[in-house]
Formats: sequence, structure tokens, C-alpha cells
Amino acid sequence: MMASSYSAKDEDGHITVSGPGGGTLRNKKPENTAFKQQRLPAWQPILTAGTVLPAFFIIGLIFIPIGIGLYVTSNNIKEFEIDYTGDDASSPCYNCAKNFSWNNTKSCTCTIPFQLDQPYESNVFMYYGLSNFYQNHRRYVKSRDDSQLNGNIDSLKKPSKECEPYASIDNKPIAPCGAIANSMFNDTLKLFYNDPNGTSVPIPLTSTGIAWWTDKHVKFRNPVGTNSNLTAVFQGTMKPVNWHRPVYELDTDPENNGFINEDFIVWMRTAALPTFRKLYRIIQKKNNMAPTLPRGNYTLVVDYNYPVRSFEGRKRMILSTISWMGGKNPFLGIAYITVGSVCFFLGVVLLVIHHKYGNRNNSANISN
Amino acid sequence: VDCQLNLYFSKKSFFKCALHSCYSSLVLFFIPYAAMYDTVRDDGKDIADYQSFALLTQTCLLFAVSIQMSYWTAVNTIFVLGSLVMYFAVTFTMYSNGMFTILPSAFPFIGTARNSLNQPNVWLTIFLTSILCVLPVITNRFLMIQLCPTINDKAKATPAPPTQRARIRRTSSRRSGYAFSHAQGYGDLVTSGRFLRRPALTRSSGFTHVGRTTTSFSPMGRSAGYSPTGRPQNNKVPNVEVTSLQMYRTITDSAP
Repeated sequence: MMASSYSAKDEDGHITVSGPGGGTLRNKKPENTAFKQQRLPAWQPILTAGTVLPAFFIIGLIFIPIGIGLYVTSNNIKEFEIDYTGDDASSPCYNCAKNFSWNNTKSCTCTIPFQLDQPYESNVFMYYGLSNFYQNHRRYVKSRDDSQLNGNIDSLKKPSKECEPYASIDNKPIAPCGAIANSMFNDTLKLFYNDPNGTSVPIPLTSTGIAWWTDKHVKFRNPVGTNSNLTAVFQGTMKPVNWHRPVYELDTDPENNGFINEDFIVWMRTAALPTFRKLYRIIQKKNNMAPTLPRGNYTLVVDYNYPVRSFEGRKRMILSTISWMGGKNPFLGIAYITVGSVCFFLGVVLLVIHHKYGNRNNSANISN
Repeated sequence: VDCQLNLYFSKKSFFKCALHSCYSSLVLFFIPYAAMYDTVRDDGKDIADYQSFALLTQTCLLFAVSIQMSYWTAVNTIFVLGSLVMYFAVTFTMYSNGMFTILPSAFPFIGTARNSLNQPNVWLTIFLTSILCVLPVITNRFLMIQLCPTINDKAKATPAPPTQRARIRRTSSRRSGYAFSHAQGYGDLVTSGRFLRRPALTRSSGFTHVGRTTTSFSPMGRSAGYSPTGRPQNNKVPNVEVTSLQMYRTITDSAP
């Protein structure tokens, strides 16, 4: 047993301990500072009635107007939707859907008349929507090669393993590879306005400005070759199995051709939910005071190329205006109103409880 | 004391914890799900894509977790706010053009933070989700405090005795039940005249000072102020400030 002696504690709290050999050991005790002894001043939210109840009421008072604002904004957005899957015999696209086969060289066309009850002001956005299409399936989401899509020549010739089995055909690489690219939406939608004296006026649709700027200008780049001709750059690659045209013939506009085609980019941005919509075209507002889409009869002409019946999916076309909160979605408004009201109601209930029970408990049992 | 009453690790408290977790998980997924269902940005482009949805959900989670701190010291606050700042810094860095250019296959989320976090309805969703996660916790705790307060709650609710901050000198390091045998005794007390009693001051506040309280009287030893039974020395005079001999507030618990 070691003989050791203790000396009185110094003012600053250190103990010096003498060992048997006569030397002094280092003290192991931490310094007596607030930080090391965990005595830092702390603020702890004490849930007294004076703090909690006003907080509940304030939250309620803040949330309800926000909710009302969101709900009113969402209601003011005009939206029109047509389901053109064609699974019903009365639907115009029934024949196209029924007679679909992968070997069709001529695309089937169906015409759907519709009517807009209100004029649509400002820019009108045209979307295509799919249902029961799981773009968020993990194996599907990984089936792409971002290097190849960024214009990397090596990846163009040798796509990554993630793209299997859509990476090559007959030992030639597929550009763009992967299941996402392979399943690209290829219906063509056209709008016509039937003006009152009977003529069918085509509505001009803008096909650029539909993808994110970062996608179009940074993430997706065409491969650069010695020749500026895109066809030559993609020499030696094959088009994806399900496509009708190769990637360098997606559009006549060279700024929208190849990997930087905006329809392609929009499709490659995989959706999170099985029911989704993707921006297809924009109908620009006219310079004069006339509404972009006046009230009246319209026709939608569909080149029906995309098969959805095999997985019981549905296809639809949506025309929508936009506001500061995005498209028409009343959920956020309703949720804010609900939470605000619940908070307010809870505040009242807790006030009653506090009045009846709280004071009794707090004062009686604490005595000196 | 709460620990002695098995309030912290019982099956009941585990069940409550599990219930809270279930509720939080459901809120953290379904509120962003419903908010992003068939939604687009304010310029018509995509926002309900896989990457934006993931970013929204994880940001909601971070905010919900950061708010639920039980006490805030300077160090705690710096670290929590710092981690939020770090989260945004790392996110924006990982989703930046530069990182994507270096290694495209490893940083596929490029542009997501910029394009989704500038949308007001994304921030409104985050705000709603965090408040919704925290609300039941506060309600439950408040109800418990009102209806069946524990000793700790009562201690926090009583006003702290008035303190005068001064350095206390301690010379004895021994802890012992025989307190007075190691202390210097009451010589100083008697000669200074501090045994004369003063009326109590009450003070109410929402704060509790969790740091150590000190007095100007120095009883020479950490155990010198300890009364073995825990009861005040004089029961006859109510509402009187306890002398600095009693360095600990006494609280009696009514039997449940």
C-alpha cells in the first residue's frame, strides 16, 4: 500500500499529492473552470403557463392567415386536365391503345376535343402526367451514366456498368445508356383552337426553357468531337432500344439536339412519386391584352407512341397557370389552417386546464 | 427524485419514446409528400423530382431535430447552429458545379439545392413540418407539469433564493456525513452577526440558473452548509429567508 499524504486544498482547487519517491505527481483533476466543470450558464425552457400558452396562441394566429393566403392562391390557379389513356371504349384514343405494338412504324393519332370555361391569362404551362409509373424505383434511378451525359468521350464509348442491360447492343455502346433514357416519353401533343368561325388555329408551343438551367448548361453536355456535326460525334453508338429516332435527331435546332434536348433532360430528372407531371411545352403570353388561351373549344391531337397499359398506368395532359407557390396544390393551405386552428384550440384547452388544476399543484406542495 | 422513481428508463417511457418517433417519422415523410404531390416550381419547372424531394425531407428533419434541445448553453447553441450552417454549407458544396465537374458520377445532385431552396412553398413546408413535430412534445410536457408535476418540475417552478455572487473559498476536500467535524465551525458566523434573520424576497421568472449559486458567507468546507436531515433549522417562522447556512433549497414531496 503506497504511503501518500494529502495536503489541504489550495484556493484554486488543485491537490498536490506526494508519492513514495518524494516527487510530486501531476494532478489529474480538471481545472475548476466553468467550462470544464460543466457549470456554464444555461438557458432551459421552463414550460410555464406564461410562456406556453401565448406561444400556442401566437402560432395559431400566424398559421391561419398563412394558410388562408396559400389556399386562396391555390384556388385562383386555373388548371385543366385530360386523361387520354384510352382504356375505355368511348375514349378517342381507345384504338391507339388497343392496337399498340412495338413494331409500329407509323404512329397512331387520336384527337380529343375539349372546352375551356375560363380564359387563361399569362403564361400557360402544358404538362404531361403519368400515373402508376415508378420513376423512383432504385434500380431504375441508378440506371444512367452521368459522365456520358456530361459529354465525356470515354463514357460515350464505354458506358458504366449501372446502365446494364441497356448499355450496349451488338457490342456497340448505347447513347444515351440506361433504363431511364430508354423509357423516355415520346408522345407528341399538339393544341388547336377552334375559333368561332370554324377554323382550327394551331397554338404555338415553346419547347425550350422547360428544363432547369443547371441541368441544361452544366449537367448535360454534348460530346465534343473534331467535327461539330453531332451525327459524326455519335458515330459508332446505337440509339436506345425503345426510341424511334437516335439522340442526334431529337430536334432540328442545334441548341436543343443531342443530350441537351430539353424534353430529354426533363425526362431524365426522375420523379419522386408514382403520379407525376413533367413540363412539356410553354404557351407564351401574348403581348396585347388578349388572354393567352381564350374561352372556347379546343382540340388536342396526340401521336400515341407511349404504351402504358402493360403496367396499368394512365396518361394525361394538363394545362395550368402558375403562381408564386407553384402549381395548384391546396394541401399546404389546408394544412396550415388546420394546424393553426388545432394550436389555437389546444391553447384554449390548456388555459382551462391550467386554470383548474395547475395552480393547485404548484403552490401547495412546496414549503420551506 | 425522478431517477429513483424509475421515471427515465421504464417500459412506459420507452413506449412514449417509440410513439414520439413513429409520429415524427410519419410527419416528416407525409407532409413533404402531400406538399410536393403534383407540384411545380413558381416558373413552371419540376420540383417534385426525386432529388428535390430528398433534399426537402432531410432539411425538414434537421430543423425538427435542432429545435428539440432541452437546454441551451453557449457551447450547445454554437454547436447546434453551427451544424445547421455546416449542413447548408456541405449541401451547397456537394451540389455545386465544381464538384460535379470533378466527379460526375459521384455528385449527381447538382443544382438541386439552388433550384428547390429558393421556392417559398418549400420553406413553408419545412416550417410546418418542424412546428408539427415539436408541438406534441411541448403539449405533453406542459400537461404533465400541470397535472402531475415531478420533484424536478416543482423545483424549477419555485423561485430561486436570492443569491449574492461572490467567490467562495473552500479548503476541505473531504466529503463526509459528519459535516461539522471537518468544518471550521461557527465562529465566523457568530462574530459577524449574520445569524440575524431577514425577511424573504420572492422573485418569479421563467429562468432557472443552472449554474452554481454562491454566497458571500464562507463556511469553510463544502459540507459545512449541509443539514443532515434536509429540513430547515427553524420551522416556526414562515416566509423567512433561510440563512446562508442552508445552501440547498428544501422541497418536500407530497406522497402520491
